[in-house]
Amino acid sequence: MSDEPTETPDATDETGSVVERTQRELPSWERIRESELFVVAATTLAVAIFPWLFARAPVVSGVLQGYQDLATLILIWGIFAMGFNLLLGYTGLLSFGHAAFWGGAAYAAGVFSAQVSSSPILIILAGTSFAALSAWILGFISLRRGGIYFAILTLAFGQMAFYMALSPLAWITGGENGFTGVELGKLFGVFQLRYPVPGLDWLVGTWKYVLVGGVAVLCVAAANRILHSPYGMVFRAIRENDQRAEFVGLNVWRYKLMAFIISGTFAGVAGSLFTIYSAYVPLSSFYWTTSGEVVIMAVLGGVGSLFGPILGAAIYLYVENIVSGVQQLTLPFTGPNEYVTLVQEPVVLMDGFGAYWHLILGLVFVAVVVLFPRGIWGLLMDFGSAVRKLGGGR
Amino acid sequence: MSLLAETVTVLLNGLQQGAIYVLVAIGLSIILGTLKFVNFAHGALYLIGTYAGLLITLKITPTGGKLADWGYTTLGLGWGFLPALLIVPILVFVVGLAMERFVARPFYDRPDTDQILLTFGLAIVVQEVFKILFGGQSYNFARPGWASGQVGLPIVGTFPEWRLYIIGITATVVVLVYGLIEYTDFGLVVRAGTRDAEMVELLGIKLSRPYLMVFGVGAALAGVAGVVGGPLYAVNPNIGTEVLVPSFLVVVIGGVGSISGAVLGGILIGETLAVMVAIAPQWSQVGIYVLAAIVLLARPQGLLGAEEVAP
Repeated sequence: MSDEPTETPDATDETGSVVERTQRELPSWERIRESELFVVAATTLAVAIFPWLFARAPVVSGVLQGYQDLATLILIWGIFAMGFNLLLGYTGLLSFGHAAFWGGAAYAAGVFSAQVSSSPILIILAGTSFAALSAWILGFISLRRGGIYFAILTLAFGQMAFYMALSPLAWITGGENGFTGVELGKLFGVFQLRYPVPGLDWLVGTWKYVLVGGVAVLCVAAANRILHSPYGMVFRAIRENDQRAEFVGLNVWRYKLMAFIISGTFAGVAGSLFTIYSAYVPLSSFYWTTSGEVVIMAVLGGVGSLFGPILGAAIYLYVENIVSGVQQLTLPFTGPNEYVTLVQEPVVLMDGFGAYWHLILGLVFVAVVVLFPRGIWGLLMDFGSAVRKLGGGR
Repeated sequence: MSLLAETVTVLLNGLQQGAIYVLVAIGLSIILGTLKFVNFAHGALYLIGTYAGLLITLKITPTGGKLADWGYTTLGLGWGFLPALLIVPILVFVVGLAMERFVARPFYDRPDTDQILLTFGLAIVVQEVFKILFGGQSYNFARPGWASGQVGLPIVGTFPEWRLYIIGITATVVVLVYGLIEYTDFGLVVRAGTRDAEMVELLGIKLSRPYLMVFGVGAALAGVAGVVGGPLYAVNPNIGTEVLVPSFLVVVIGGVGSISGAVLGGILIGETLAVMVAIAPQWSQVGIYVLAAIVLLARPQGLLGAEEVAP
């Protein structure tokens, strides 16, 4: 599933066994794994069982202490981080201004829901269109200068969006209080979002999750299609060497702008979903920390792979919402426990552990940047191939 | 107050506001220009400068964070402001040296994005450490007694004395750094290295030490900015990033690697802020970004930036 050519032995091998492989009746596992149908099917399956596994499954959910809403939130941020990674991981552009698209879409979706229509699908479309449009404008200005400047300029114009929402546009956005007038109608005019899904209640929970999950699967499919198209190939060529791409005759600037717009559009989808999720738009969705969070998620999970950033989003939100509530860090299975108890008295490693969550994330982030540029997903992939090698496979 | 007096007051306020940005931006700009290193942790240096200045100048009672939990009721030396103004730049200079040696240098050959990510992560870590130690709330950095009053000026009438001191201190420091870069052998090597590092090394001049110094000087400037800027605003862990973004704009507007560009950009931004606050306060923060966008569209390399030097 990783789009990086991680297993180089495979690649060299492949040229030698092309004939043999085409003659075989069944396609090899690697082939299946790369196919679009498989990616979409696997994503659908994962999205469907995720809330059950996270919030309701025996043992697993007990250890994880997850809950339904967090599962929804993880998917929303996962879309955001995945779209962000199209820019950072595949085109090699680091934006610090994606809060502008996430927040812009969130506000646009909120205002649209209050003024025009409360249909969730239309809300998402409205927010996304707004984000795509603002990405076009912001990208046009920010891409005036390459490299270092791009990060600085996106950061600056993201902050400009924040200050716009804070006071000059406060009559629309609600200023410091955020936008509170979000109206949410029924999905397709039939399903109330907060109601449980009849029959599948135990698996996916509410209609809200079905909506978010469905959009997430669509987003993964779209991103997968983009990355495996010739168009996505150009993005990668630009990341590797934009000068050479220019010499081949590609209009690098236009491709960069397009990558920025696509990535902003994904951020817009996520931002609109966030409005639907929380029925409220906080001003902080425009603040630069939102951009910083998505940078951390993408890098932590692993840039340059489709699913890495989603994993990163899951880890970040898990630490932010669950780990931050941990009062005492104890050794596993010490102290009273539902399933396994080794010692009655908990072995306390650290008091007030939860307060350090942000610091720990920062340190892990620095460690990932320095030591594992391919992120945790890359680590898992390396680990997987190492295990396969041990098992005698290739 | 007459219109003239009001105008002059606004312009003076703008100059003072710009002064802080100038100090931070010069450091960013010379580091970016000579070392081609983007330092998103420059705001963290400002943060360190402010807290160090606070602790040297005053005795404070931590009202939150771990230090309070551990039972420290009074912290700080209480030596007053002038010692802080001397010690803090040296302290932050040393921090800057360490940062160049252990953070920046291993990353010179890595892509720009990696440098940004690393320094961004570092900025978060520093900010969190301060938040954990001192708590997230604000401390009051009282202005030194000898400068907390109002001073009579022609035309304007009265003006806060401290703001004048900031302008004065900044001007002195800027002149010193400008002299260092433009009129000393050290500055000659640095400028030559900015133009063509390879050629300078071929001539047998080792660039690693001048680079180390440039990073240290840039850091020290952020430290000075932290000390003089501290008493203007409440001191909390977020001030570092708050000052970083406008300072980046200053660098973009002025042009990378140019000290005079940073001064011009800083004054422009400061004045824009001050004038906007006076005539349309709602738009004051937005104004500086619009200014940056206009400069960028008209002159992408910055007002005083040279095209071939900028990365």
